[in-house]
Amino acid sequence: MTQQAAATPPIPAPTKLTSFFWEGAKQDKLLIQQCNSCQKFQHWPEPVCHHCLSFDLGHGEMSGRGTVYSYEIATQAFDPYFEDKLPFVIAVVELEEQAGLKLITNLVDFADDQLKVGAAVEVTFRPLTDEFNLPVFRPAAG
Amino acid sequence: MAKKQRVAIVGVGYSTVGRNTGLSLDELTAQSSIAAMEDAGITPKDIDGVAVHSFPHQYVSATHTAAMLGIPDLDFYSSSIDGAAYSVAALHGIAAVASGSSEMCLTLRTVHRAGAAGGAALLQAGAAEGISSNAQFSMPYGSFTGSHWAGLYMQRHMAMYGTKEEDFGAFAVAQREYAIRNPTESFFTQPLTLDDYMNSRYIAKPLHLLDCDYPVDSSSALIFTTEERARDLKQKAVFFDSWAMGTTKEADFSLVEDMTHSSPWMAAKRLWSKTDLKPADVQTAGLYDGFTFIAMQWLEALGFCGEGESGAFVTAGNTRANGSLPTNTDGGACNVGRRHGANFFIEVTRQLRGTAGDRALPNEPKVGVVSNAVGGFAACALLTTD
Repeated sequence: MTQQAAATPPIPAPTKLTSFFWEGAKQDKLLIQQCNSCQKFQHWPEPVCHHCLSFDLGHGEMSGRGTVYSYEIATQAFDPYFEDKLPFVIAVVELEEQAGLKLITNLVDFADDQLKVGAAVEVTFRPLTDEFNLPVFRPAAG
Repeated sequence: MAKKQRVAIVGVGYSTVGRNTGLSLDELTAQSSIAAMEDAGITPKDIDGVAVHSFPHQYVSATHTAAMLGIPDLDFYSSSIDGAAYSVAALHGIAAVASGSSEMCLTLRTVHRAGAAGGAALLQAGAAEGISSNAQFSMPYGSFTGSHWAGLYMQRHMAMYGTKEEDFGAFAVAQREYAIRNPTESFFTQPLTLDDYMNSRYIAKPLHLLDCDYPVDSSSALIFTTEERARDLKQKAVFFDSWAMGTTKEADFSLVEDMTHSSPWMAAKRLWSKTDLKPADVQTAGLYDGFTFIAMQWLEALGFCGEGESGAFVTAGNTRANGSLPTNTDGGACNVGRRHGANFFIEVTRQLRGTAGDRALPNEPKVGVVSNAVGGFAACALLTTD
């Protein structure tokens, strides 16, 4: 079988609601939508604050610290781009800024015996393409 | 003003079911509808309601279905693409009959095997433009399908309660025992051992292949009507005692507040608030097993075992034929294929009618529970017979 060009990753198409997240990631910042009225965070971004129903929404920069809410070790790719990356770790991380504020991510640089629910993590950024950085999490320093 | 009607299940039917039937969504839908009408002893002219649930990329229209079947005029129709699979069509149909909006409602779930898992197929269709939906926050991480939230839910339960992979395996093993006694519907009729389960490959560890339902082409149909009409039809009537939906405030399955207490807990609590029946009254269960852990979350949510104790409950044999709660006696979707919730309604109906053949439970159950989905949305219902 002829080797095709390297498979391309799933690429975001930022919208006016989500572009801040990807622009932040490009500068190694983890930005999360924040309500300018009640100051609560929410992820994914929505056009209205689900805490207070304000439409006055901005975003805030996270410390990048959090804990592993759950994780799994992906062993089937479902998309050609991930074939040569198996196995890899998909996780949900809860950020320290607000109880229940979570995102889907990957865990990187983990030894097998470090992988556990509740593990302390910190954000780091990995290039997805030339255009996009992906916020992922590694074991917290110290 | 119409009074609230008692709602009965009077007809059930399946299409041809298989991995590659070559049948269109419409053909499958027509087959199951005709089978359910024959089971009930009615014709299209008796039907005045159609409720369908389908995936948006495998859309099945209620009004087109009615036209295809020669149903002359609909008083009620619903074509949902949102939420808890067949049970959405079911609860729409129940509500329509209970409220007097429909006197005889056909409810349907039709699914094609190909592309049913959604994520990867949808991505490939739109890869060039990039992902504008909220999947832009999951797919770049390699999270595409139901299996990717399923593994997370299982790991969380294991971490919180000490559940083991073998406990999920025990559920798969128990279901296979029923499947062997359902050879005309089950795709798997060889015994399954715990070793077989543990040796099945991981999809997203701790999720094994044998935790997953079996994708097929299928259509399932059930017909609901009033108690009065049901008394004149050919089958022993099975009634909906109560029913409920539930949702979480976060719509995404991976981001729900509490993976071990997701929408089944909301739906179950609401269900028990609407009935005098108690968990101890339930003699058989049909609990959605899109993944094994879903049925186990329902066991806890519905109060058949304690919080966090579903692993021990299943491993002790309680869901087997001689256990305290025979569960998924047709073999479940892991064995009869993805009917996306409808098979639980159909099999519990057959158990309550006394027409489950070799699988008929010796206790001749008069109360059963059915459930569908997990995560962001769920629904359940209690079925009874006189």
